[in-house]
Amino acid sequence: MTTPTAPRHVFRWDLDKTYLRTEFDSMRDLIKSAIETAADKQAYPGATALLRALRAGEGHRVCIISGSPSQMRTVLAAKLKLDGVEADEFVLKNNLKNILRGRFRALRAQIPYKLPALLESRAGSPPAPAETLFGDDAEADAIIYCLYADLLAGNVPLTDLARILEAARAYPDEVQRTMLAAERAPRGDVVKRVIIHLDRRSPTAGFRRFGPRLVPVFNYFQAALVLYADGLLDARQVLFIAFEMLDSRQYQLPILANSLQDLIRRSRLAQPVATRLAEELRDVARDAPATVARPDLPPFDDVARVFTDRVRELRGIAPLPQPGTAPVLDYVALVDEEHVNRRERKRGRA
Amino acid sequence: MQRIVVDAMGGDLAPEEIVKGAAEASIAVADAEIILVGDAAVLGGILPRLRHDGARVRVHHASQYVEMDEKPAEAIAAKPDASILVAAELVAAGEGDAMVSAGNTGASVLACARRWKLIPGVRRAALASVYPTELRRGDRNDPFSLILDCGATIDASAEDLVTFAIMGSAYASLVSKNRRPRVALLSNGTEAGKGPAAVVAAHQLLLESTELNFIGNVEGLDIPRGVADVIVCNGFVGNVVLKMLEGVSETVVRLARYAHKEKLTWRIGLMALSSALSQLKAVTDWQQYGGAPLLGFEHLFIKAHGRSSAHAVTNAIKVAAKAHAGDLCGHIARGVADVTARQRPDKIPAEGSA
Repeated sequence: MTTPTAPRHVFRWDLDKTYLRTEFDSMRDLIKSAIETAADKQAYPGATALLRALRAGEGHRVCIISGSPSQMRTVLAAKLKLDGVEADEFVLKNNLKNILRGRFRALRAQIPYKLPALLESRAGSPPAPAETLFGDDAEADAIIYCLYADLLAGNVPLTDLARILEAARAYPDEVQRTMLAAERAPRGDVVKRVIIHLDRRSPTAGFRRFGPRLVPVFNYFQAALVLYADGLLDARQVLFIAFEMLDSRQYQLPILANSLQDLIRRSRLAQPVATRLAEELRDVARDAPATVARPDLPPFDDVARVFTDRVRELRGIAPLPQPGTAPVLDYVALVDEEHVNRRERKRGRA
Repeated sequence: MQRIVVDAMGGDLAPEEIVKGAAEASIAVADAEIILVGDAAVLGGILPRLRHDGARVRVHHASQYVEMDEKPAEAIAAKPDASILVAAELVAAGEGDAMVSAGNTGASVLACARRWKLIPGVRRAALASVYPTELRRGDRNDPFSLILDCGATIDASAEDLVTFAIMGSAYASLVSKNRRPRVALLSNGTEAGKGPAAVVAAHQLLLESTELNFIGNVEGLDIPRGVADVIVCNGFVGNVVLKMLEGVSETVVRLARYAHKEKLTWRIGLMALSSALSQLKAVTDWQQYGGAPLLGFEHLFIKAHGRSSAHAVTNAIKVAAKAHAGDLCGHIARGVADVTARQRPDKIPAEGSA
C-alpha cells in the first residue's frame, strides 16, 4: 500500500458567487437556483480557466467547500465535470438535516458551517504547507477564512474560539464539533493568500483591515495577476484566463487593462511584477506566436501597449500604501458587525 | 462599449461627489468604461471607499485643474495639464467617446473648442439646457423642454439658428425619445415677421429647407408652458432667459418660506400642499436630467450643473452614454448636411429683408 504524497498547495474554493454566478437573495432566486440544470449554471468568466490551471500544478489540490445544499450535489458535480474541473474534495451543506431537526438558524449560518468544514478538511488529509482560499463578499467568507488562517497560525487561542462561535450563534454541537476540529487540524502559518471575489462590488477599503494577505478582486483576471505574483501561475496561464474572459464577451481588452491598473492603484500588485509579466508574454509571443495570435485581437505589441498605457497614465503617482500586517482581529466584533450588515442587506432587499 | 471621460476635479463638490457619481455609473451603466481625469492620488484614495466596478473605472492623472471662479481663457492658458483640457484631449485622441464635467462652464467650452473639431457645416456650437414645463413629451414623458443656445454663441446668424434647431431636434429625439420634437424660434411675437433680422430669416429657412417639426415662433411665456420641445435662440438671449427663469424659481421658493414663517393659515395651506410640492420638486429636479449638452462638435460634451451631487453626475454619464450609443453627433452631421445640400445660395434669404 502506498501512502498518499503530501500536497504542496491546497486551493479551497467556495462555489456560489465565487465560482458560479448564483443569485439567492430572494425565494424566487433560490427556487431558480434549485431547479437549474448543470448546463444552465454559469461560472464567472475566467474562473474555470483559473481553477483548471491551479489544479494542473504538481502537488496542487482543489477542495470545494460550499454552502449549497448537499441535495444539489449531482447537478453541481455535473457542472464541474462539464467545465472540466476536477475537485479532490467536494463538501456541501446538509440543509435537509437542519430542516428536519428544526434548526432553521443553521440554514443561513455561515461561520458554524464553513469553519469546521475547513478545519476538518485540513485535519482529514495530508497537511499542505501552503493554502490559498477563494470566497466572495456576499456573506462572511473574509471573516471565516481569516479566522481559519489565524487559528492554524496559533494567533487565535481555542479559548477565544468558543466566544466567537457563540457570537456567531452556533448550536452547542456545532461549537463542540468546531473545537474538536480546531484541536486536530495541523498547525502552521499556511494560509498564504485569501482572494475575495467582489460579487456585490463592496468597497475595497473595507477589506484593508484583514491585512495584505486578503485581496479583494473584481474579476478573475485580477485573481490571476495576484497568483502570478505569488508564483502559482505562469504567464501563459494568465493569458489563457484572459482569453476565457474575452471569449465570454463580458470583457474587452480595455476592461482587462483597467483591472491591472486598479490592482496597482490599490497597491495589490507591484509595477515591476506587471513589467515582468509583460516581458514573459512577449517571450511567449516570440517563441510560440500561435499561442497569442487571435483573429479578434490586435497584434501582441498593440495589446501590450494598452496595458502599459494604463500603468503609464498614473504617471508614477504613489498608490495607496499597502495594508499593514493585520493585527490580531477582534473576531467577535467582526461577527457582530456581519450580523448587522446582513440585517441591513435584508432590509434593503425588502 | 461607451467610454465616458469625466473631469473628476471640476465642480463645487469635486472630486468627492464626481467620483461617487462615476463609481455608481460604473455599476449602473451597462457596457461602459468611465475614465476619471484628475489627481490620481486623490482619486485613488476616494474610489476604494465606494461601491464600484474597478474594472470599468480607469484613472488618468492630470496635475492641475481649473477653479470654478477662474477666468476661463487665462486658466486654460496657464494650466496646460488641467483636468478639463486633458479630458478633452483624451476624447480627441479617440481614447474616449464623450466627456462630462461639472466644472467651470467657460473653461469647459473653451477646452472643447481648443481640442475638438466642429461638425462639417456647423459654424458655431450651442450649449443646450433643459427647463421644466407643464406639458410632458416623448416616450420618456419628460417634463423638460430644451433651450439652445444658452451662452456658447452670443450672436448667431440665421444659418446658425437653423443649425441649432437641427442639433436640438436630434438631441431631443434621442434623449427624450421624442420622435418628432416641436421646434420653435424664440421671438417677441408669434408672427413670422416679428423679431430681429436673423430670427426672421431663420424662420423662413426652417420652413423651406428642413423637415423639422417647426411650429414657428414662440414668446417667453410659452417656455414654461411647454408649447415647444426645442426652443432656439442666440446665446445672449438664451442666457438671459435661463437666468431669469432661475431667478423667478428662487423668488417663488423665498416667498413660500416667507409665507411659512409669517402666518399660521398660510403655513397650514403650504402643509396641505406639501406632498404635491414634493412631487413637483421630484418631477422638475434638474439632477434627474444629467446636464446641458454642448452640441456642434464632433464629440459630445455634457456640462453638469456646478453644484452637481453624485446622483446628477451619474445621470450626466448615463445621458452621455445614451447619446453616444444613439450616434447623436452622426445624426446632427447628417441633418446639417441635408440642409446644406438643400440650401442653394439663391434661396438663402438676406437677413433683414423680411
